[in-house]
Amino acid sequence: MNLFRSRGQRRRATLLGLLSVPTIFLAVFFLGPLTIMLVYSFLEPGLYGGVVWRFFDLNYGQILGWADTKYERFDPVYIRIFLHSVQLAAVTVILSLIVCYPAAFWVSRLPETQKNLFLFLITLPFFVSLIVRLFAWVLILRPTGFLNQALMGIGLIGEPLEIIYTDTAVIIAMVYVFIPFMFLPLYASVEKLDMSLIEASADLGATRFQTFRRIVLPMTLPGIVGGSIIVFIPSLGNFIVPSLLGGAKVVMIGNLIEQQFLSARNWPFGSALAMMVMAAILLLLLYYVRLASREAENAPAVKEAA
Amino acid sequence: MMTGRLLKLLRWVNGLSIYGYFFFAFIYAPILLIVVFSFNANPVNMMIWEGFTFDWYRTIFGLSNKLTESALYIESSDQLYSAVKNSLLVALITTAVSTVFGTAVAVAVARFRFRLQGFYRALMFLPMIMPDIVLGIALLIFFVSLGVKLSLLTIIIGHCTFLTSYVFVVVSARIADMDESLEEASADLGADGWTTFRRVTLPMILPGVIGGALLAFIISMDDLVITYFIAGVDSTTLPVFIYGMLRRGIKPEINAIATIMLLFSIVIASIGLYLRARKK
Repeated sequence: MNLFRSRGQRRRATLLGLLSVPTIFLAVFFLGPLTIMLVYSFLEPGLYGGVVWRFFDLNYGQILGWADTKYERFDPVYIRIFLHSVQLAAVTVILSLIVCYPAAFWVSRLPETQKNLFLFLITLPFFVSLIVRLFAWVLILRPTGFLNQALMGIGLIGEPLEIIYTDTAVIIAMVYVFIPFMFLPLYASVEKLDMSLIEASADLGATRFQTFRRIVLPMTLPGIVGGSIIVFIPSLGNFIVPSLLGGAKVVMIGNLIEQQFLSARNWPFGSALAMMVMAAILLLLLYYVRLASREAENAPAVKEAA
Repeated sequence: MMTGRLLKLLRWVNGLSIYGYFFFAFIYAPILLIVVFSFNANPVNMMIWEGFTFDWYRTIFGLSNKLTESALYIESSDQLYSAVKNSLLVALITTAVSTVFGTAVAVAVARFRFRLQGFYRALMFLPMIMPDIVLGIALLIFFVSLGVKLSLLTIIIGHCTFLTSYVFVVVSARIADMDESLEEASADLGADGWTTFRRVTLPMILPGVIGGALLAFIISMDDLVITYFIAGVDSTTLPVFIYGMLRRGIKPEINAIATIMLLFSIVIASIGLYLRARKK
């Protein structure tokens, strides 16, 4: 009895030893900053960049529509930029899905050694610096860049195409950068796909489209949804890609936030914009969790197995 | 009829592998382009081949003075060196701290039963779903409103807040396929918690810990967004330095810097792969 109690105490002491320092660190330097940002988004911006410690809801009012005073006015441009960012992020998700889906099938059907090689090759870009990979696309898409030189060299175009500093350039670069994020979750569910089900479906007379829609798509859905979320989140809040490849012409919500902090010096308004991004992502995740739990209810056999 | 279907299938597979090669070409062509053109002698248009040169490498190592314009542009290689030094310092300290934190939390959550388990899982999940820019500005507001001067220390603190989660995830995955009974046996034989952890748990999860540390190191070296907000004037890291260079204009030396960084990444990735292969 005595032994048991002392072991319980020892375990508690070990647990405390493991958790105490990380907990204090994260409470102060992670939860602390997030709380302060939330508080800031409800404070009044000072005249010269600081804040006035008074409750103020017009930071959100300027974005969402109820600010109508001398200094703070509702401006639909913020909502427009926000929606445009959502749109760019959504297009990035869809394109990277289209690009990765067939490739995931291809890699999953390769012999073991080749498979490992290509899986290594797809993870390698993740280790390559983001800024280096974006720089490559600046070199390719510039008016004097590789693509234009090549196209003019073979006489396909007479003068350089204006690709850089457009939505297209931003989307291309985001798709390129986030391909590994989309590929790996997709691959995980494609690899689990049972080929005999596809054969059975074909044998029973289903067309290829029917097989895809009824068998392949539902069974790879977890990978599709997972990859989409992992790509959507960093795309939505991105400001590096639009600032390098979108120039002054493509402004995403991330650029707007950056401006509030580093040039406009309206920190409360910037915080409110950042909270909008967080809110959008949390809504998306809530929707995903609800969807996933409904799925689990519909498939009791799977639930039991788990 | 059977052969007909087989042919169709073969054609489909062929089409798919052609696509597969295109896919990998799309991933690697831009990177190769940088490497090739880092040796291009043309100082005006980097994309028109004019001959082979090591000039850009010599410029960044401070060996060449003849390219005065370019030399002025980097201002001095000293800035570049100090950015590299800062990046390495930050990454090393961050890796050490976040590996210890992440491993400790992972072991605690997997091996102990306590009331706040769900809270810790959520806490470790949060940085993963948060866009970098949100954490970056939150840390900026936090440090500035507390009157903390932005420096390498603030960067290190910032990196540790989210890299702890990455280590946690990697180590947790490793613990998940580990046998718990060995630890119980150790405890039954009278070892205290610390001894069991050091002699039994740690050696078993070590591959996960190393994997997590490597990941933390790479992400810390590469982080641009969070560092961008919380770096002081004299504490620029390499990605922030290059970002600044790119915003001022494209110069051929960047090709050379990027190629060296590429080489570095491939070495680190290969070490990781080697360790993972040896584990099996």
